[in-house]
Amino acid sequence: MITLPAILALSAALFATGLGIALIRRNAILIFIGIELMFGAGVLNFVAFWRFSPDPEALTGILFAMFTIAIAAAEISVGLALVILIYRHHQTPELDAANRLRG
Amino acid sequence: MNATAYILLGILLIASGTGAAVLRNPVHSGLSAVVAFVTLGMLHMALGAQFIGFVQLLVYIGAVAILAVFAILLTRPEASHLPCLRPLRRAVAGAVTAGLVLAALLIAIFRSPSLNREPGPVAEAPVAEIGELLMTTHLLPLQTIGVLLTAALIGAVLFASTNHS
Repeated sequence: MITLPAILALSAALFATGLGIALIRRNAILIFIGIELMFGAGVLNFVAFWRFSPDPEALTGILFAMFTIAIAAAEISVGLALVILIYRHHQTPELDAANRLRG
Repeated sequence: MNATAYILLGILLIASGTGAAVLRNPVHSGLSAVVAFVTLGMLHMALGAQFIGFVQLLVYIGAVAILAVFAILLTRPEASHLPCLRPLRRAVAGAVTAGLVLAALLIAIFRSPSLNREPGPVAEAPVAEIGELLMTTHLLPLQTIGVLLTAALIGAVLFASTNHS
């Protein structure tokens, strides 16, 4: 049987992977994918705490995970539109090129 | 969830995530992240949250991954006029930061005694109950999420539309 700390450790490793992607890569879309992996680690935590909660019938963790997924979807739709906009200005999706405030 | 499934899914999850971090071609990176999302959905199902697992597959594979790969293909850099800004130092600094965060999280997780508990007796989340809760107790958050998604989509269309200059 898997214990709660084991699942939380896997989730922490996933979070660190997403953070590493967001810090290492320069392509803005891959940075967004890293942020999505960090969101995924949070959702995994919600589900794990629901599974090990004293009152799992309340389904609180499940609902929290669902709302988190919805917010992640809203975030990436706006984010990718911004990336397209940046690409139109600078002809590259790399964030190092977008270092000016004037357009 | 039995230990073998947990170990296999965990290795696949971290390996595909690391692949997304280190693969040179952005398309390969994006596809590696898709594998990570699928594995995450399977983990949810193995934990007993089948509905969240399927939602994860639908939203992340059906929408987010398609969108991301599309955006990667649409935004190929035409001429790489940027020189590689000390890529090795950046990679090392990013990896070290991520490792430090992981170490801090692991120390916190394994040193807190309140996390050592047994799983509850119920291991499933019936979809009917989720739907009933969404329509009764959590109706206001559900409507708010609907407004948020609508606003996000309208905003995305406004941002990306061409004739606003």
